[in-house]
Amino acid sequence: MHIMEGFLPWQWCLVWWIIALPCVMLGIYQLKKVLASDRDALPLLGVTGGFIFILSSLKLPSVTGSCSHPTGTGLSTISFGPWITALVCAIVLLFQSLFLAHGGLSVLGANIVSMGIVGPLVGYGIYRLLRDTSVNIYITVFLVCAIADLFTYVMTSLELALAYPAETGGIASSFILFMGIFAITQIPLAIVEGVVLALVFKYIVALKPDILIRLKIFSEKQINAARSEI
Amino acid sequence: MAYRYTLEILAGIAIIAFCAVFLYTSATMSGAEFTGSDNVGSGLIAKLSGSPIENFQPLIWQWVPPSGEIESALFALQAAVGGILVGGVFGYWMGQKKKA
Repeated sequence: MHIMEGFLPWQWCLVWWIIALPCVMLGIYQLKKVLASDRDALPLLGVTGGFIFILSSLKLPSVTGSCSHPTGTGLSTISFGPWITALVCAIVLLFQSLFLAHGGLSVLGANIVSMGIVGPLVGYGIYRLLRDTSVNIYITVFLVCAIADLFTYVMTSLELALAYPAETGGIASSFILFMGIFAITQIPLAIVEGVVLALVFKYIVALKPDILIRLKIFSEKQINAARSEI
Repeated sequence: MAYRYTLEILAGIAIIAFCAVFLYTSATMSGAEFTGSDNVGSGLIAKLSGSPIENFQPLIWQWVPPSGEIESALFALQAAVGGILVGGVFGYWMGQKKKA
């Protein structure tokens, strides 16, 4: 999902930095508040953040004959919302820009916006939509994880299309071209990520259901139903 | 109540299917190099903007891993940090549960 260093004009770098910074700040503020109110939230942050570290380091082959990596942001989005997720992503992306030459400092803002903000925000929307319905919570987790992953790449395509409109057809037609590279490659990865993270969520439900209830991630009734279900 | 493995089985199927698709693609698709989509994207940027890919120089100086080996070591390090976090917490929770 990275936009590589130097591949975005500085004006656009600035725009995405200006959008990204307040979101990360909000994440720091929210994280302090959550950790102060509940000590058990820290291990949950470790697990959900840990998966962002693991999954975003795995570059997997896909149907288009190129490789891409999942984002792993879904669990963190469900547990802590998009802003704290943006903060964790900012840390991972900073590591990758400094040591791996994946992304870079000037494009870091743009990469935070796609992986840490837009993907998780869309995922969070799905979670809020499905949370209070009778939809099985594992299906909710699957959808949030898969869609947060996919929309990260849709956003990357949009960021690039805005900066590089095609000569004929403008932004729309170059958006379609970038989607062909980023989003199509991502579809199988997003599905696998969704299923695997739903499985991880099952283990969290089995081991530590009380923290999920206390943080009001799902209701007690849903958690109890899920424990006996699958 | 008996433990049910529905999600484990689904995850297994998804991973096996993913591997099968990869094997099929790599065997049949000509010109599939499995480079990063980041690189493919950069190629398209060069095409759309009409200036060759060498013209895109970093705006802020950047350290580049001197070889693929070093890069993969650092990627493994990143995954290891994540693995320690996940494994550590699950172990901590299991211990807590046993004690309770």
